[in-house]
Amino acid sequence: MKGNLRLGVVLAVFAAVGCASLAVVYSITESAIAAQSQKALSASLQEIFPDAASSEDISSTVSSNVAGIKFEQAFLVKSALAPLGVAIKAQGSSYGGPARLLVGMSLNRSIAGVRVLELNDTAGLGANAKNPGYFVNKAEKITFPGQFAGKFITDPFEVKKDVAAITASTITSKALTGIIKASAEAAALWLENSTLAGGN
Amino acid sequence: MKSLWKVFKQGIIFENPLLMLMIGLCSALAVTSNVSNGIGMGLAMTFVLLFSEIFISLFRKAIPSSVRMPIFLIIIGAFTTIVDLVMKAYFPELSKSMGVFIPLIVVNCIIMGRVEAFAYKQKVMPAIFDSFGMGLGYTWVLVGIAAFREILGNGTFAGMQVMPQSYQPILFFILPPGGFLVFGLFISLNIWLKDRMQKSAAAKESA
Repeated sequence: MKGNLRLGVVLAVFAAVGCASLAVVYSITESAIAAQSQKALSASLQEIFPDAASSEDISSTVSSNVAGIKFEQAFLVKSALAPLGVAIKAQGSSYGGPARLLVGMSLNRSIAGVRVLELNDTAGLGANAKNPGYFVNKAEKITFPGQFAGKFITDPFEVKKDVAAITASTITSKALTGIIKASAEAAALWLENSTLAGGN
Repeated sequence: MKSLWKVFKQGIIFENPLLMLMIGLCSALAVTSNVSNGIGMGLAMTFVLLFSEIFISLFRKAIPSSVRMPIFLIIIGAFTTIVDLVMKAYFPELSKSMGVFIPLIVVNCIIMGRVEAFAYKQKVMPAIFDSFGMGLGYTWVLVGIAAFREILGNGTFAGMQVMPQSYQPILFFILPPGGFLVFGLFISLNIWLKDRMQKSAAAKESA
């Protein structure tokens, strides 16, 4: 009994020291990590809307009605003169766990661009969705997220029909397409309900 | 010094963790579809192995043997998380390309195996040399397998196109069955190398 108690105490001490050191490292790195992900997000926003000058947080007014897909943040992106469109940071699950995408929707209800923020799928297969050197259309050098630019929400968004799949990664292709479709529809709906004049 | 060198050398061919000890195979097959991942995983694993071995060797007298496994796991898990957090905070690019593999290190049997079989019974210096040897042994195999699979399966090396554009990539090599095949070839290559080295060492001794 006494021996067992000693073992428990030793184990507890190691666990406590381990936790404490993790807490210290976490508190040091927390703000830097948040800053990095904020930087990555605004860089992606700038890529989708090159004229973006400012963005307004509209996260509270956009919600997902598709099971398994969450909208973490949403922005109304504006140039110096006028609104450009809506961008939604959406999270859904793909083959290897959560995937985070940033989907931009222009005022004319077509997708301005898609960026993959986080994806944990198989290296060399599903992970090609975030590889800027992997082209689903080699002749025209179009990447998997790149092919969505210019698509209208009235399109069917079906893998292997109007969406080119990543070779041998049907699950990833379908999962990402689903997230993009849900985000695009929500963004279009938001634009519909807003007072902003549509492009057509 | 000579014995430390010998400890270091063991991990590369004679006791190569992947090809001779046959541990840590799952992560090795998963990440070897391209060379950059192989290098990244090798370095991250070596780093965690090094610090886990140092710590466990330092505290080996304070760790009761009946609860050593959970304590090893706490130490390995803590270092892995630290690596993950530090990379996310200060090397976001690296973390983006390797983020998937970092949590895998916790369950990498090489670390558990070496900590249990080596660091727990040895002083700090041999433990350091063992972790470098094992780390190098792990990394060269990963990079070798990854190069083979990436060049044949995707026509690229570390992302750069090396095969002519007309080359039709053999997708088989990127998929898991191809990984097993190439892995088997590397095992035979290692056994052949080991036999040759043993023979030449024996020849030297008798001469």
